[in-house]
Amino acid sequence: MKPALIALLALGAGVTPGADEHVLAGARLFRADRYAEALVEFRVAQRLGSPEAAGYAAAALVKLERPEEAVESFAALEPVPPARRDALLDYYHAVACNNARLYLCADGLLGGLGARAGPRIGEHARKMRAAIEALLVSEPSQDALDWYLARCSQFRRAGRALLARAYCEEAAGLASRRHDGYRRSEAMASLASLQRETVVPSAGR
Amino acid sequence: MLALLLALAVQAAPGPCDLPPPASHPDPTTAEIYRAVGDGELAAGSRDTAAAAYRRALALDPSNGAARAGLASSCRGPARASDPFQEGLRLMESGDRRGAVAAFRAARTARPSPSAALLEGICLYELGDDAAALPPLREAERDPAHREAASFFLGLVALRAGQGERAASLFEFASADVRFAAAGADLARLARREGRLMLSLLAESGYDSNVLLLPSGRQASGRPGDASAATTMAALARPLGASGPYARAAFSYRDQARLDAYDLLGGSGAVGWLAERAGNHLLAEYAYEYTGLGGIPYLSAHRLFAGGRAALGRIAVGLTWFGRFESFRQASDVPFSGFRQVAEGDAALRIAPRSSIALFYRYGRDDAQEAALSWQEHGPRAEARIGLGADVRLVAEVGYHWRRYPGVDPFLGVARSDTYLDGALRGEMDLGDRWTLRLSLVAQRAWSNVPNLAYVMVFPTFGIAYTIGFL
Repeated sequence: MKPALIALLALGAGVTPGADEHVLAGARLFRADRYAEALVEFRVAQRLGSPEAAGYAAAALVKLERPEEAVESFAALEPVPPARRDALLDYYHAVACNNARLYLCADGLLGGLGARAGPRIGEHARKMRAAIEALLVSEPSQDALDWYLARCSQFRRAGRALLARAYCEEAAGLASRRHDGYRRSEAMASLASLQRETVVPSAGR
Repeated sequence: MLALLLALAVQAAPGPCDLPPPASHPDPTTAEIYRAVGDGELAAGSRDTAAAAYRRALALDPSNGAARAGLASSCRGPARASDPFQEGLRLMESGDRRGAVAAFRAARTARPSPSAALLEGICLYELGDDAAALPPLREAERDPAHREAASFFLGLVALRAGQGERAASLFEFASADVRFAAAGADLARLARREGRLMLSLLAESGYDSNVLLLPSGRQASGRPGDASAATTMAALARPLGASGPYARAAFSYRDQARLDAYDLLGGSGAVGWLAERAGNHLLAEYAYEYTGLGGIPYLSAHRLFAGGRAALGRIAVGLTWFGRFESFRQASDVPFSGFRQVAEGDAALRIAPRSSIALFYRYGRDDAQEAALSWQEHGPRAEARIGLGADVRLVAEVGYHWRRYPGVDPFLGVARSDTYLDGALRGEMDLGDRWTLRLSLVAQRAWSNVPNLAYVMVFPTFGIAYTIGFL
């Protein structure tokens, strides 16, 4: 994130007039580890129409230990082709998933980083993947699947469909790793209906 | 260290709640956007972020009543306390470790939080509850952002459990992070010398300027000084780690180059129990000691020891007592046999991570079989321990005590009254994971109302020690 923001500061490009000063202020605050204030600036920039600010706000949420909101924010970003994706934002998205116990989500994002990540992020990603691999080495328990589906249902009832979908996707993926596919069909059915509920707004990555 | 850990774990400082100074260019329109962001954050339960947004709104438009009300709401005590992570931080900083543990647990219940897990583990470690500290530390260890910090504290737990090799491995991992590099490397070295079974070997040589303790006027003719070489072997077994029962044994031999009658042979064995928790400890020990001098039995003694130490931040206070039932083996020395005991209290102040100063006061008495040989003594002592870099330690101490013999000595015809000035300077340099170079200079000046019992002694030594831990 920081190199991306530094580059943004240096270029001063790609931001919407009126929102740019808030994105830049947020970037400076982020670099100074003042994440709450950075988030405020990114939020203001979002309201002023900056397409980049949503991703940066999601990264700030990761730093603020608000992983579920971060997952939700990342999920709301407009899909971008892999070649144009920002590796640092993908890394932060993975951290958000990992911290929200969405390990398959995190692993998938980390696996997609490849050579796009620099050596430092690459090393962090490698360690996180190793930790996830250790977590997933055994067959997921029924209790774990019950928990993921309960989270999915809970967030759906709260109107947070994007977050609910993330937990249902995780439940479906984990159920596939069980020999009996425990509650997999249920997870898939929930996913199908959630698919119709979730609308991804226009936002950039 | 606490500040570092909080900085590691808390990646957002709470926003201040004071009203901000007005901006140089008021902008009520943008202030309204900040106010709306604040409302959104407040609704999401993030009061710190909301407060930051409201403050920006008020800076741009001090008359914005909604922002003012929002700031007041986000900064209200009970509302802020509803964030268990922030509450945990506040309690941890105020020293309430148990309260902080409860708050961090609540934070982890609400949502996964590696930071809360790390800090909960640290609090439990500091409370001495190592078993409870392990699960949250292991959870924090799985997060890349906290892996080194968690490894560092897992290393401390392993070290306290006497698992030297495992502790060393964890400290080495932690020292890959520049923030733990110095402490991790130091502790890794220490850990390699620790274990549930520890063995050490010391070889040293020195020159005692006054082995015979002759008064200054007689030293020229008496040749009281002599060189010596000595070796000490020691073993310590702690089956449950640093806290719990232990047994130790030591054997030493000192060979005088010229004054063979003063060759010293010593052996001792002890069993004891050390109860350690959160930097405080209690210790009780029984030991048997045997000493031979010049090839003949000299002293056999049973020794009881008890001590305790309590730490509060940078200050620690301690109290120790030992009593020794002494039985001298040669007929000429038997009147000196009896019960000797010394109690000492101290207060120490840590002035730097590896440096401290301490003041001691001691009281001792020896109730010998022959009343005229009994004595009582008391006096102060000061000590400074200085860490120079990662590998060198210096200890300097100076003490002064008065010794009174209540009875009249039938041979001297007076009741003895002595005073002693002691000084010592000791240095240690680690040459590797297990080798240590030792230099020391010990000196004593004694004054007495019996002129022949006044003396000066200086004893420099040079030695090298090897220590290894197992299990």
